[in-house]
Formats: sequence, C-alpha cells, structure tokens
Amino acid sequence: MEVSRIRALRGPNLWSRHTSIEAIVTCSEAERFSPASSALLESFLDRLLERFPEIGLVMPAGAAALPSVAHALQFAALGLQASAGCPVTFSRTSETLDPGVYQVVVEYTEEPVGRLAFDLAVSLCQAALENTPFDLDNVLARLRELDEDVRLGPSTGSIVDAAIARNIPFRRLTEGSLVQFGWGSKQRRIQAAEMDCTSAIAESIAQDKELTKELLRAAGVPVPWGRTVADADDAWAAAQEIGLPVVVKPRDGNQGKGVAVNLKSEAEVRQAFDVASEFRDDVMVERYLPGQDFRVLVVGKQLVAAARRDPPQVIGDGVHTIRQLVDQVNADPRRGEGHATSLTKIRFDEIALATLARQNYNADSVPPRGARVPLRNNANLSTGGSATDVTDDVHPELAAKAVAAAQMVGLDICGVDVVCETVQRPLEEQGGGIVEVNAAPGLRMHLQPSFGKGRAVGEAVISTMYPDGDDGRIPVVAVAGTNGKTTTVRLISHLFTCNGQRTGMTGTDGVYIQGKRIDTGDCSGPKSARNVLLHPDVDAAVLETARGGVLREGLGFDRCNVAVVTNIGMGDHLGLAYINTVEDLAVVKRVIVENVANNGTAVLNATDPIVARMAESCPGSVTFFAADPHHPVMATQFAQGRRGLYVEGGDIVAAEGSTVVHRIPLSGVPLTRNGSIGFQVENVMAATGAAWAIGISWEVIRQGLATFVSDASTAPGRFNLFDYKGATLIADYGHNPDAIQALTNAIATMTAKRRSVVISGAGDRRDEDIRQQTRILGGAFDEVILYQDACQRGRADGEVLGLLREGLQGASRTRNVEEVRGEFLAIDTALARLSPGDLCLILVDQVDEALEHIAKRVKEA
Amino acid sequence: MSHKTIKFLSITHLKGPNVWTYTPVLEALIDIGDLEDCPSNTIPGFYERLSSWLPGLVEHRCSYDERGGFLRRVEEGTWPGHIMEHVSLELQALAGMPGGFGRAREVPIRGVYKVVVTAWHEMVTRYALEAARDLVMAGIEDKPFDVAAAVSHLRELVDDYCLGPSTGCIVEAAESRHLPFIRLSTGNLVQLGYGSRQRRIWTAETDRTSAIAESISRDKDLTKSLLASCGVPVPEGVTVKSPEDAWEAAEDIGLPVVVKPSDGNHGRGVFTNLTTREEIETAFSVAQDEGSEVIVERFIPGNEHRLLVVGGRMVAASRGETAQVVGDGKSTVLELIELQLNSDPRRGNSEDHPLNRVRLDSAARLEVRRQGFEPDGVPPEGKVVVIQRNGNVSIDCTAEVHPDTAETVALAARIVGLDIAGVDLVVEDVSKPLADQGGAIVEVNAGPGLLMHIKPAAGEPQPVGKAIVEHLFPNGDSGRIPVVGISGGKGKTTVARVVTRLLELSGHYTGLACSTGLYLDRRLVEAGDRAQWDTARRVLMNRSVQAAVIENSATSIVTEGLAYDRCQVGVLTNFEPIEDLSKYYMDSPEKRFTTLRTQVDVVLPTGVAVLNAREPQLVEMAELCDGEVIYFAADPSLPVLAEHRSKGGRAVLLREGGVVLAKGWEETKLLDLAQVPMAAGGEAFQAENVLAAVATARALDIAPEVIRAGLETFVLDAAPAI
Repeated sequence: MEVSRIRALRGPNLWSRHTSIEAIVTCSEAERFSPASSALLESFLDRLLERFPEIGLVMPAGAAALPSVAHALQFAALGLQASAGCPVTFSRTSETLDPGVYQVVVEYTEEPVGRLAFDLAVSLCQAALENTPFDLDNVLARLRELDEDVRLGPSTGSIVDAAIARNIPFRRLTEGSLVQFGWGSKQRRIQAAEMDCTSAIAESIAQDKELTKELLRAAGVPVPWGRTVADADDAWAAAQEIGLPVVVKPRDGNQGKGVAVNLKSEAEVRQAFDVASEFRDDVMVERYLPGQDFRVLVVGKQLVAAARRDPPQVIGDGVHTIRQLVDQVNADPRRGEGHATSLTKIRFDEIALATLARQNYNADSVPPRGARVPLRNNANLSTGGSATDVTDDVHPELAAKAVAAAQMVGLDICGVDVVCETVQRPLEEQGGGIVEVNAAPGLRMHLQPSFGKGRAVGEAVISTMYPDGDDGRIPVVAVAGTNGKTTTVRLISHLFTCNGQRTGMTGTDGVYIQGKRIDTGDCSGPKSARNVLLHPDVDAAVLETARGGVLREGLGFDRCNVAVVTNIGMGDHLGLAYINTVEDLAVVKRVIVENVANNGTAVLNATDPIVARMAESCPGSVTFFAADPHHPVMATQFAQGRRGLYVEGGDIVAAEGSTVVHRIPLSGVPLTRNGSIGFQVENVMAATGAAWAIGISWEVIRQGLATFVSDASTAPGRFNLFDYKGATLIADYGHNPDAIQALTNAIATMTAKRRSVVISGAGDRRDEDIRQQTRILGGAFDEVILYQDACQRGRADGEVLGLLREGLQGASRTRNVEEVRGEFLAIDTALARLSPGDLCLILVDQVDEALEHIAKRVKEA
Repeated sequence: MSHKTIKFLSITHLKGPNVWTYTPVLEALIDIGDLEDCPSNTIPGFYERLSSWLPGLVEHRCSYDERGGFLRRVEEGTWPGHIMEHVSLELQALAGMPGGFGRAREVPIRGVYKVVVTAWHEMVTRYALEAARDLVMAGIEDKPFDVAAAVSHLRELVDDYCLGPSTGCIVEAAESRHLPFIRLSTGNLVQLGYGSRQRRIWTAETDRTSAIAESISRDKDLTKSLLASCGVPVPEGVTVKSPEDAWEAAEDIGLPVVVKPSDGNHGRGVFTNLTTREEIETAFSVAQDEGSEVIVERFIPGNEHRLLVVGGRMVAASRGETAQVVGDGKSTVLELIELQLNSDPRRGNSEDHPLNRVRLDSAARLEVRRQGFEPDGVPPEGKVVVIQRNGNVSIDCTAEVHPDTAETVALAARIVGLDIAGVDLVVEDVSKPLADQGGAIVEVNAGPGLLMHIKPAAGEPQPVGKAIVEHLFPNGDSGRIPVVGISGGKGKTTVARVVTRLLELSGHYTGLACSTGLYLDRRLVEAGDRAQWDTARRVLMNRSVQAAVIENSATSIVTEGLAYDRCQVGVLTNFEPIEDLSKYYMDSPEKRFTTLRTQVDVVLPTGVAVLNAREPQLVEMAELCDGEVIYFAADPSLPVLAEHRSKGGRAVLLREGGVVLAKGWEETKLLDLAQVPMAAGGEAFQAENVLAAVATARALDIAPEVIRAGLETFVLDAAPAI
C-alpha cells in the first residue's frame, strides 16, 4: 500500500459537506480483493481487529473481508479519531480508473488530528499487513492530547456551538481561540469569552482592583471599601469609618499571609495591624464581607448565570488522614486531569500543604468527624474546586448590582465575584459585596457546573452580537460552469453595486473589492473566497468557483444563497485529477448547488442537460433559464409554478409559473448587442436570475443591465470588440470547444466580407478537445492563423500546433492555414491582412499583454 | 511667641471651581509671624537674590499689570505670602507647567495669610509651595538655595503625577471644546464628559478600542496575514528558529531582507536591508535577544512612516529621519555623531525632545561597518556615513500622503478592528500610490504615541487630540448630562430631593448627592451627609446617571470646591447663614457672597440660575450668570421681578395660593399650593422650596404636567427614600 497524496478538504466538497482528509492510495494486487487474495485479506482483517478491535464499530456489520486495504485504511482513520473522542462519522473509499488506485476520504473535526489519525492509520494497516506490534493506547493518547490542544476550549467552544445552532458561519483565525463569526461587513470576532466590542480600557480597569472598587463604589455597588492605614490608631479609626467587622491585611499581599478577617473589636484590629505590618509596610483596613464566594456572569445587560464556588475541600471523618480523604475525593470518576470533565482532581501540592499548615494540619492529620478542611483559598475549578449552579436563586436586586458593576467598568462579558451569605437576598441586607470583576471569565463553571444545571452561556454571547434573525451572513452568489462564468460574475456583482451593496468578487483574473483589484492571478479558489468573506468592507460576495479549488480544498464557504451554473457543455480540462468525463466534471460543478442554503436558489441552464439535472441536488429552490420557453425543462418548471427566465419578442422574460413577473428589453442591455450575441443573452439571464433570487428590485436590475460595460479594460478577454482600419476585431480568451462554439455562433450574426481567426491551443487539454476547437472554427472562418502558446504545459514543441492542424483537416470553409511562432507576431500577421469590412477573431492567450498589443496597433492605425 | 519664619497652618486642596477661580487650586494658610514687620524692601539684598534665582519673575505682571510689575512690588515692599505665590507659580512654570492663577490675601489675624495657586496636581503644587517657602526664607536669611535641584524635583513630580503628553493633548483638546473631564486614576485613565454621556480614554486608547483588536495588533504575523487577505500590501515573511533557518528563509523570500524580533518594540533589534549570509546570521542573534521569536521578511525599500488613523480616517503622518554624518578627515565616527548629531538641541532623552540622541547600537554598528568604517575609524573629509536609517519617525508629512494610501491605512486599522491605530508604513515616496513603489504596511499599533504628531521634529504639528475628541464626541456632542447644583441656606436638601423626583418622573436615571445621602435611581445607596465633593464626583462618574442633582453646602464650597466644572442649573435657595464658616475666615456677608456666587459662576451659557428674588444679595448675583436667570418669589410684587419680567424674563411666583409660571407678563397657573403635601403645613419656607423646585424643573424643561404630578405625590418623610 502506498499513499501518494494527502489533502485536507476544508469546506464542502465533492464527497460531502464534512471537512475531510482525502488521500490517493495505491494497493498492490495482493492488497485488493480477488479470489486469489481473499485468504490473505481475511487474515489481514483479523490482525487489524486484533490491534484495533474498536474498528469494528465503524465498519459495515458482518464484513468478513474488505474490498481492499485502502478500505481498511479508511475505517482505521475514522475509527482512531472516533476512539479518541472526535465526533466524526463520514468516510468513503472510491475507485479510480487506474486499477488499484483509490481515493480515500475520511472526515475530521480538527485538521491536525485528522492528518495525524490518517498517518497513524497507515501505520496500523502496515502493522497488520506485516504482523508487527501496534501500541494502540499510546496512539489514542497522542490523538486525544493533540485534539485537546488544537480544538477550541470549552468557553470558546460553547459560543461557537451556539453560533452553529443559529446558522451563523464561523472561522477560526488562529490556532488559538480567536474566532470570526459572520462574513464581510457583518463579521464579529470573539476570543475566548471576549467579544470584539470588549473594551481594552475596561479590561485594564478590571485588572486594577483598587480602581475597580472606586468605580463600583461610584455606581453604588457595595464593595469591601477600605484604605491604607499608617499605624494601629489609624487602623482602628479606619475600622470605625468603614464599619465593623473589618479585614486587616498587607496591601498586595499574597497567599493570605498576615490577613486577619472578621475583626469586631478595637483590640482585634490593633493586634491584626501589628501582625500585618510584619509582612508589608502598607497595611489596608477593609470592610469584611461574610459569606461564601459566588461568581455571577453578566453578558450585555443581563445576568446569564450564577454559581457558588467552593474551594477544594475534604470533610473529616475522624478516621482517615487528610491525604487519604483527598484520595477518596479524587476517586470520583467525574474528576479528571484537565478541562474535559466537570470536576478536576484536587491537587495535593505545596499550596495545599501551606493551606493545611495555616489550619494547623498536615497531610497526615486526621481531622475530626464533620470538620471542613479547605485545601486552597481560591475556588478555581482547575485546582479541584467545585461550582454549584445557583442562577435561578439570584435576587433581582443582587443581579442588578452585578449588572451595574459590569456596566460601570464597561465590560460586556463580565465575571462578577460576589461574597455574601446567600444570593437569595439583596447584598445590602446581608453586608455582602462585590470583590472583583473579571474580563474574559471562564465559562466552564456555568456550562458544566459540578452540581446543578448548565446554562446557555454561549447563546447569550451570540445573541448579544447578533440579534434574533440575524445570521451574520452577507448574500453569497457562487458561479460555476464551463463558459460565461467571468461575465456572469461581473454582471451579478455590478447588479449588487447598483443595489448599493459594497461587493467583493473573485474570478480567474483576481479579487475585486468595490471594483478595486486587490489580488491578481487565478483567484477562483476557496482561499480567495475566504478572503472576500473576511474583508470588512464587503456587503455581498460573488464568487467564481472553479473546479481546481473544489478538488483541492473544497468550497471556501459552507452555504451560498445562490449557485449559478452557466453550462457544462463538452467540458474543459478533462482528464486531470481523476475528472475524466463530463459527468465527473458535473459532480465537481454541482458542489455549489448541493450547498445552496435551504432558503437559497440554484440558477441553472435548462438547455444543458447535465446542468439541468443538478436541480435534483439543490436543497433550496431552482430557477431555470433558456432562450426557448418551450424547452421541456422550462415547460415543466413553469407547469409546476416555478421560476424561469427566457427570451421572447426581444425581451428577457422573468416568469413564475404562468405569471410573467417582469420583462427587460434586450435593446436595453448593451452587453447582448440587441440580443444578437447569444451567449451573452444567456449570461444576462443567469445574472438576472441570481439578482431575482437575492431580491434585488427589478428597477435596479434593469438599470444595472443597462449600465454594465464590458470592454477590454473592464472585462479583458471577454468578447472585446475593436475597430481596426474599418475591420472588426474580436479578442476573446475562449479556450474550449463550447466557448469556441458560442463565439462562432455569436460572430455568425455579424456581417463580414472575410473572416479570419488567430488561435493557439493550451497544452493541458485533451488531444480531442484541442482538435475539436479548430474543427468548429474550420466551418466558420476563411483563414486560420495558428500560433504556439507561451506555455506548452508539458507538451512537446509543435505538438499542440499539430493537433490544431488535424482539427482543420477537411474544414468546410477554411482555405488558408498559417503557423506563426509567438502571439504578437500572429496578431500582427492577421492584422496586416485585414481590409475594411473584414472580421477577425483573436483567441488571446497572454490576455493582458495581447490586449495591450492589440490596443497599441489599433491606436497606431 | 515671636518668630521670623513661614509656617504652613494648613494646605487645602480645592478640587473644582471655588471661591477664588474656576480651576483647582491649593489654598495654603500660612503664618509669617514677625516677618509681618519685614516687607521685602527692608531686607537687604532680597530683591537681588530673588531676581537672580528666578529671572523669569520679570514676566509676572502682578497688580501693576505690566512686565516687571511683580518685581517692582518686591522692590517697593511686599510680604512673604505674596512673594511665595509668585515664586511657586514660577517654579511650576520652570518645571513645564506655565501660567496659572495666584492670590495672597490677609485674614483677620496678624501675620496669617491665605496663599492660593493653581494646582496642576496636588502633589506637584504642594511641593512647589514648600519649595517657594524655602526659597523665600533663604532669600530673607541670605542663605543659598538650589533652584535647579528644586525645579528638577518638581519636574519629576510633574512626570509622575501629571498626564503624559499623549493623554494631555487629548484632554487639552477636550477642554478647548468645553468638555468636562475627570481623571479616574493616578495614571492616564481619563473620563471625558459626565455620567451616561461619558467616554473614557487611556493614552491613545478609547473605551471603544477593542481588546481583541489589540491582541491581534500585538500578533504581527496574524496582523500581516489578515491585512494580506484583504489586499493590503505587507512584507511577506516567516518566523525562523536558527541562523541557518534565517538564511534559508532570506533566500526563499529574495534578498534584501529584514530581520527582527517578533515582539520587540521601538525598533530595537531590527535590521534592515540585509544582503549577505553573515549579516543575516549576525542580525538573527541580536534579534533573538530582543524578543522570543525572530522574523525574516522582504525588505521594503523606503522610509519609515507612521500614519495615525482615528475613527476610520487618517489624521496625521510622520516620516522617519536618516541620521548621517559627514567626515571631516579628523574625527572618528563616534566623535562625528556627537559633533554633528547629538549637538542638535532637539536631541535628548526626555519626552520634550522630538529627536533621540543617536547611539551607536548594534544595528547602527552594522550599518556603519557595511559602509566600511569602524566606530573608531576616521571617515575622509566630505564622506557621508549613514549612522541610522529610520531613526525617529518625527518629521510631519501629513499633507503629502496620497489619498489611496490614506485609505489603505484606514482599511488596515479597520481590518485589525482598531478605532485608533498607528500604522507603520514603509515607502519611498508617500505622495505616490504604494503599489507603484512596492511600499508596504509593516505594523498596526494599538494605543499609538501621539508625540511625533504633536511635537514633530520638523513640519507642522497636527491637531490629533482634536481628531480623537471629535471621534469620541462627534457633531458638537457636549458630553454633558443635566447637572443641577443647589446651594444657599435652608431648604437645599428639600429642593434637591423634589427636583430629583421630577427628573426621575420624566424618565432620567438620576443621581442625587445631598445631606441625607447618596441616591441612585430612586434608591438610597448611602445614608448620611453626602452634600460633599467626593459623593458628587461619584455621581458624575457613574455611567448610568442621566441627570445629576448635587447639593453643595457652603462648607463644601469653601473647603473642597465644586465637583463639576459647569452646570445646567445653579440654584440658590436663600442667603441665610446656617453654617459656621468662621474657622475658614469666610463668615462675613461679603465672604458669604463670594462663596455662594461660585454656584452661579459655573452656570453654562445655555443654562439657568434659579435665584430667590427675596434676597438682594442673590439678585445681585444675577449679572454674574452666563446663562438665563429664573427668579422664584413668594411675593409677586417685588420690584426686581417687575424689572426682570419687563425684559421677558421667567419667574415662578406664588399668587393667591397658587404656584404660577411667569414668562414676561404672561402667567400660567400650575397648581394650588394646597395640593402640594409638603407645603400643607403652611410654612413659608416650604412654599419657597416648592417654588425653587418648580423653577428648577422649568429650567430643565420638565413638562408642567410632570411637575404637577410630582409635587402632588411627593411626601417629605423621615425615611430617606425618594
């Protein structure tokens, strides 16, 4: 078995909506099922089960043997992740046309975990093949550890889960806890339990306890007010000002050294001052707050959860030592090592021993029956403390004080530490108070309290950022197809712009934000899509979705509002990446249709049977377009009362069932040259269908179609027209049989004395596709000038030219064929032969350079 | 007991508008004993000593109101209190806090004076007063006095206690827009505006500066990748672990490169334009010592710029300077640095110097060696040696920035999520688009320093404080909530509580500080006498408070000053003395006038003074008010009312047992006094209290029906709830 390529599909993909690892696995003959190998494979399976019995849980029931080792690898990679606690379910192995070569796809939740699981699954299969040992426990521990490392922590995780439940898209921006919700101008960010509107100043204030106290006092919130005192007399004076009982402590002291609490008499205060002043020069006298520690969580202006926090403690039984009692407590299965469980083991460390020492105990003391022995001063869950949910008990006055505290400091997510006897009564009544406010509070004690109900904290955070009904999404239109994608994308984007939306657009020539190109080159993949969705100034996105990106990484978004498929036709780029047939290609192009939102729309070309069939895969509704309203697909669509666009009487007609919703005269759409350029009419119908689905008004659509400009500067290489000495020049980037057919059809309507064409062939197409191009041209042009492409993409010198020539054999119209080296020379050669009234189609290759060259020649003429 | 010394009997900090002036002052009560018999003209050499120690005193105009006026007084004979006043102001000026207010006044006891000077900060001015005392005594006793030492200590105190320059310039801009401010901490945390209309700043951070955005800006790699995603040009780079790694990365990225620590600041350990393996490996080692990780990135040719973005707009830009020397054929590089660079008076190590002193640090050494010189080498005459590229970014270039670039840096701040950001940009020519010259944004900083824009080494200072204030308070927002200040004699508390009730009824979350306690939103928060500065301040600091009612006892005005700079309504109930102010020497009717007028002095031009027309002294105060005056009177026939009403003035009167709202000669009856439970006892003073409260409510534009409902249901009981 050999693994030749591993990819991470980070978005919805060919196989499923799940993020997955995809690998190309080659199995030898012995490793795939045949009568000859069956025994061997059976024993392999036995050895595999021996090493990893749980694999049985994810395999088809009762399988005595598997079709190949690749299949075993699939289940092993899935099973290892599942056993390590990752919630994964999807996996698949698919044969390719090459015998013994499989595509193995296994879902992951965290990419590094998925990759590691896959590698470990390979080792496992290898071990089973070679009958060598495999340390399953160690492997699972590694996976678990990595998973815990890379997956979101419980606080962030709870917020992300709440977002997912609200259908709000999210994206992790770092390996840490920084997460983006929503897209474009509707994006928001969180980092653990902080929101992007959480003020840095408020956080700094929260860190300054004295300043916080001062501000809370200004807000009328009871705090352990106090001051520094100079001497014992002053300490007693302060105690009287503050009101008894008081705490006397060294300022900024740690570990509770020199702290005396609940002092009620002058003698106690004076004595405490003397003790405290041994530790620090600065001694504070503060109001003593009797009671227990509570944590109140405030989100926005609401109290969302409250918990009582108890320090790690044991209760004496008069028999066991403290060490034994701690061991007993830690034996509780709910107590784990990390953050995964609702309780954490009590740490029996130096701090615990010091805490015991202050109570005159040591590890081997036997506390009397019923004695409460705390092992730490603080009540953190991570050191073994416990949290009991008391949310439903909080008195409204107390809640109001907690909210006031958060508001005063300026924190929108705030953990308020309260000390009081009970939360069931107002603080003032019981001499309680707020001792601290915390930014970015831990949420675990509210999500999974040790005792009591968990609270919907993540939901509260999300609804603070996104009011009900807002899912943080901006309209996303994905466009796929063989031809017309770029024009359709630009047209839809123009319609959005006319609708007042700042638009981001991706395509094969770059990324555009509000018309400004921010990236160049082929940007039709998921990375560019993600970039557009990350941009803060984007209100709507139109994304050309080429097959390369879908195959490589999946989609750059989870759902789109509209998926437009212009056409598949005879296909393009066939034979690459296991996409051999037009049907294979359709599966790739269909991915955007499969991932239309439930309330979204697929806009599909009714005349292309493969495209029309995609309707079945669309979870949302479908709008068909075709010039001919009587096309069977259109007729059926209308009969069912659904939407479609067609051409009638020189108008584009938008109809729903038998109702004509709107008509747009093609004379008002310059792109179509009064409807004479058939493929542009199709593009316009596709774009109009998308705008209709989004809900852009007809007024805006009509205006947008009227003002859309497509020339060499705005749409380089898309049917750019020039006038050269009275002859018509058309430059286009069309490079596949369908595009060339569409161009030929469009040009057929234009009058010309003599027709010539300049063409090269891209080396990465199938031989047949290259020949097909000239075969079409041969029937429509008098003269053909062939030139060799700048990049031969792996072809031998002259090979492509040969194929192009072959296509011209027996051409019905072409009389003259010439071969030229270099694109510029080919263009110049063609231009030199033109007379007024002639027509010349130049199929450009180096688009920008060639157009510049043509423009230069036109200018000179 | 006779003595010829100056003793401080007490020093009082008046923390707000006070009997002397609108701004905080220290009021020192001093006893000069028998120096009373020794005016300055009788002490031989005193004038000379004083004027030579503090030559700047010549600028003090004093009562002659001319240059040298004060020194003329010293020559002609004046007393130590007066001299201390001027000396302490001059010492503060020398320590960088020029200007300010000063007074010296006798009290009715021989040799005892009140010396009053502007308190920039209590600790600073306290020391200035003490130093002034010592200086004056040294002058009197003909002893030496180390002026420089006193000034330098004072300067340290200014640095420790006063606002830093960035915060200072924002606060100054706020003051020039008449926005109130409150320092919330000993540091640079400042509240602008009051109550619910407040905003907070902490140096160049605001309360809307996102903590997450700050943490993103600190993560340079993350910042770069976010910017790159949105098409903002950045230098591509990688984090490297070893010198070999660094070289490999440099080859991948393409030379020349920059090597720098991932989390360093102030340009320490940053090496630019490195082309050789040796340079890169050396730079790695130095950079590693400055930060935890080292980054190798594409070298962006050009000058360093700092562009300040405030609220989505670029508001200022500075360019870095290249420090270079020209050989004279005799001096070493080190000597040339001292001769040609560090001799520039703009260079120094304090915040007042726009340029740092040039130090031959490791990066500079590398730069110099690359040009073929050693620090001790002597460059030939006329040879230019670059010591430091991109030293201080402090040359203003705001006007030159290309609009596309301004837009790009604003986008960068937006991507990171910062409302105020200092964007570091490297580009040859900032007036041309970035793309044409390979310029790039190298960093986005939260809480940027503003000094380079306020005090550029060259070029125009930019009004960045103003831009920040405008960002926080757009479109002329005053940041103010309605503040009602109530003083006078009897009835203050009652009026305060009724007014609070009426504000609450009209939907305002109201804070009340009065002699029965602190109330917030109808709740008694603290019982006891809270007609004090501290409690009033707390009300104004409270972010929930939409309206504040503050009772000021005369004692509080005399000993603490007011808690607010200006108020919407200033109320004086009457002129009856109910507090004993003799221990502050403020018990005469004139002093009482001075005390109570403070309340009228601070009424906003758009505000109202509510005055009892029965009291001639209060009527006299009407002309001191910047805003409107509304009189209230139980006797509608008072002549002053006629005059006031003839000019269209407003008043609230009692006519035939009815409370009447008057505007000019127009009268509208509000309700019968008999309907008001608190006045049911028939006491004249309660009737006046009702009238004062109604007048105040009118001043606050509270609707008559709300006033009526409020008065009819308000019961003044022993329980201190409202």
